[in-house]
Amino acid sequence: MEALIGKVWHRWVSQHAVETHVSAQVNLLDLKQQLTLFYRGVGGDAGKMIVPAQSRNLNNTRRLIQRIAGTNQKHSVSWQDEETINLPAYINFFPDSSLNKALYFWLTALAAKLPVVQHWFADNQRACVELLQQRPGLKKVYQQLVLASIDQRLPLRDLQSNEILREQAIRKALADPGSVADLPQAKGEPQPVCLWLYSAPLRAVSVKADDKLEQAAHSTGSKSELVDSRKQAKRIDDSKQTDGLLIFQAESLSSWSEQVELDRCQEEDLDDDLQKAVEDLDIVTLSRQRRAGSAKIKFDLDLPAAQNDDLPLGEGILLPEWDYRKSSLTKDYCLLQPMLADQMVPVPLPEHLKLVANTLKKRFCLLQSQRSWHKHQSFGEEIDMDAWLRIVTQPVQDINRQDYYRSRLNRQRDVACLLLADLSMSTDAMITEQRCIIDVIKDTLLLFAEALNDAGDPFGIYGFSSVKNTQVRYHILKNFTEPYNDVTRGRITATRAGFYTRMGAAIRQSAEILKLQQSTQRLLMVVSDGKPNDIDQYEGRYGIEDTRHAILEAKQQGLQPFCVTIDDRASDYLPYLFGDKGFVIVNDVAKLPQILPRLYLKLTTANN
Amino acid sequence: MQSNNYYLPHDQEVNIFSLAAQKQLPVLIKGPTGCGKTRFVEYMAEKLNRPVHTIACHDDLTATDLVGRYLIGPEGTYWQDGPLTRAVKEGGICYLDEVVEARKDTTVVLHPLSDHRRVLSISQTGETIKAHEDFMLVISYNPGYQNVLKGLKPSTRQRFVAMRFDYQAPEKEVVIVCQESGVQKQIAQQLVALANDLRRLKDHDIEEAASTRLLIYTAMMVHAGMPIKDACVACLAEPVSDDTETLAVIEKLIDSYFAS
Repeated sequence: MEALIGKVWHRWVSQHAVETHVSAQVNLLDLKQQLTLFYRGVGGDAGKMIVPAQSRNLNNTRRLIQRIAGTNQKHSVSWQDEETINLPAYINFFPDSSLNKALYFWLTALAAKLPVVQHWFADNQRACVELLQQRPGLKKVYQQLVLASIDQRLPLRDLQSNEILREQAIRKALADPGSVADLPQAKGEPQPVCLWLYSAPLRAVSVKADDKLEQAAHSTGSKSELVDSRKQAKRIDDSKQTDGLLIFQAESLSSWSEQVELDRCQEEDLDDDLQKAVEDLDIVTLSRQRRAGSAKIKFDLDLPAAQNDDLPLGEGILLPEWDYRKSSLTKDYCLLQPMLADQMVPVPLPEHLKLVANTLKKRFCLLQSQRSWHKHQSFGEEIDMDAWLRIVTQPVQDINRQDYYRSRLNRQRDVACLLLADLSMSTDAMITEQRCIIDVIKDTLLLFAEALNDAGDPFGIYGFSSVKNTQVRYHILKNFTEPYNDVTRGRITATRAGFYTRMGAAIRQSAEILKLQQSTQRLLMVVSDGKPNDIDQYEGRYGIEDTRHAILEAKQQGLQPFCVTIDDRASDYLPYLFGDKGFVIVNDVAKLPQILPRLYLKLTTANN
Repeated sequence: MQSNNYYLPHDQEVNIFSLAAQKQLPVLIKGPTGCGKTRFVEYMAEKLNRPVHTIACHDDLTATDLVGRYLIGPEGTYWQDGPLTRAVKEGGICYLDEVVEARKDTTVVLHPLSDHRRVLSISQTGETIKAHEDFMLVISYNPGYQNVLKGLKPSTRQRFVAMRFDYQAPEKEVVIVCQESGVQKQIAQQLVALANDLRRLKDHDIEEAASTRLLIYTAMMVHAGMPIKDACVACLAEPVSDDTETLAVIEKLIDSYFAS
């Protein structure tokens, strides 16, 4: 009974304390694609991603009822750092959904104008002035937004002395940007201004992971090497390995609640308690230390033991990597290791694929017999007028030459295709109770190979995964010169999901291989399930920029990269990587095996 | 001579072109669609007082189309000069627009014309024609267009004096738009700013950026009395993309300048 009353009370008081308009709510996810495009259009940095912002604690004045309800303390304000633009996950401030939507576009335009916020009050005003001057069409909607947002603010009568002055200054600055120079001081933080951007939170300062494999390989375990001088701001210093439970000061106890040992580099083996702890914490400080306290013996648990692993071929290939911060290629940064599954068993095509394979085969057989008109033929259905005239007008006529017919002949196809499959750990996710993404990818590869084998186009199939820059695993499933048979089928069937997605290096190597093919059209198809990522700095913008660069290199070499992905959020980043016509998103994973060969047909017949 | 053609130079191109013409060197012009390549050639032809023979290349254009062919007339077959042969004989500028689109066999006739030999050999008639002293070969292409597979061969490109065009700097583009369409400067400024927004979307979101030509069309429509937002949608948004999401965003960008 008590619990019930508590619940009812909570619902009642929360409803009265929070002024939102749920029916007019606009979600970031629905608008993200448009906003990303808009951001590029208004002059924002093309590689940045728009992500939902986590709510932040602000120490602002609240109404009595809000204090009773315990709401209005956390706000999702908008901010950006060098990789992401953080916008509220949903906006329901205003009763009119078109205004909520307009606020998203306003914030995006402002973000392009104001990449770094140093002085919150002055910078936002300045950016607003510039934006409105450059884009006069925004004036009207800005005024509407200002009026509506002032309506939503706490009335002046609920504030005290200095707070009133400060609130007035903010309102004036909103209504007439650039008119107020300084923000009067007052207790606490001002109420959030939804039209403005905030500076990036200190804890978001990115710190480079300090355990690159090269270091690990040479590390003698000395303490000096492990202390990371680059740590900044509020990151905890967990690099000293002598810190133990026994050495602490009593007053530091209060801060214990904030530090939970979460090793994000390991698998998701968090139990429920930790998960819950994370939800309750305001600041989660992530440690980049992979080696736990006492571990002094070095071995990589991520990698399988050599005898269970595929056979590595050669010493590996050194490849460069693009660092967008330096705008340069870091030479020989990645070590790509070609691998061959030597312990697999040759298998025939699985039963469940036979039916689809047959249908595909029939379609692809037709490719060989596609016909077009050929001129200058000795035999044919029609007379080639050009050829006839040429023969007739020759000063010396050669009676033996009779190549003045046109004939419909089979067209020569001149296409080579390299299929590169993402075999990272994320493909191990289940889509139904029995099947994982990797199973679907395997089926896709098999069907694709069956179809292409019948079409007679040369093709190669490769897979990749990675563990940092020092081991990009590049699995050879079928070489261009190899015949497609039970052995190659066995290799495809034996692939396993594992590790991460260093896409740039894999694309570079694939481009090298494909370049050797003599065909006119050379197609580099990437099958993926998500963004490029790895456990070192290869995530977010770094990974995306490197992949983009690798793709540009491939395009420059005359190859045609194309991406097929099953990541439904891929429209955020794929246009930037592959261009607007260079990718396709498959919504229904189960259909991938049928879709891919069809796509191939479309891609290779359109250009001929 | 008073020029009828308005042309605002980007850089040194007028000078380069004049000197190349004086020294009988062929010229290659690279640049995106609608940035003023053809206009420049027409302007130079007028300035140098030479006729211009423009040939728009397409993927079925063969050497025969350039050089000429035998046709059937009432009295049997007769030879008809192609535009290139005419230009070679009479003098003047022969302008091959979007030359990469043409069939590869065209290079065979272009090569001897574009080096020191300056001759055109016609295999069908067995003739070899020495080019007129006023003959000048000019080719153009769009490097970003469609795909790199169709790029020019190094052996071809290395026979030309080359220059690269891009869209004009905003201030200059404003002058051009005003001049060509007659709209007010303020409107032209905002149209140019909008076009530059769209150009930023090139390569990832749209295939080809909004050209100066499209911009002039828009301004002309506005000048003719069309509401400015509608003109932008019709002349700047719809021609560059078919994707509804992209079009929605372009409309937002238009709104940010010209709210209805």
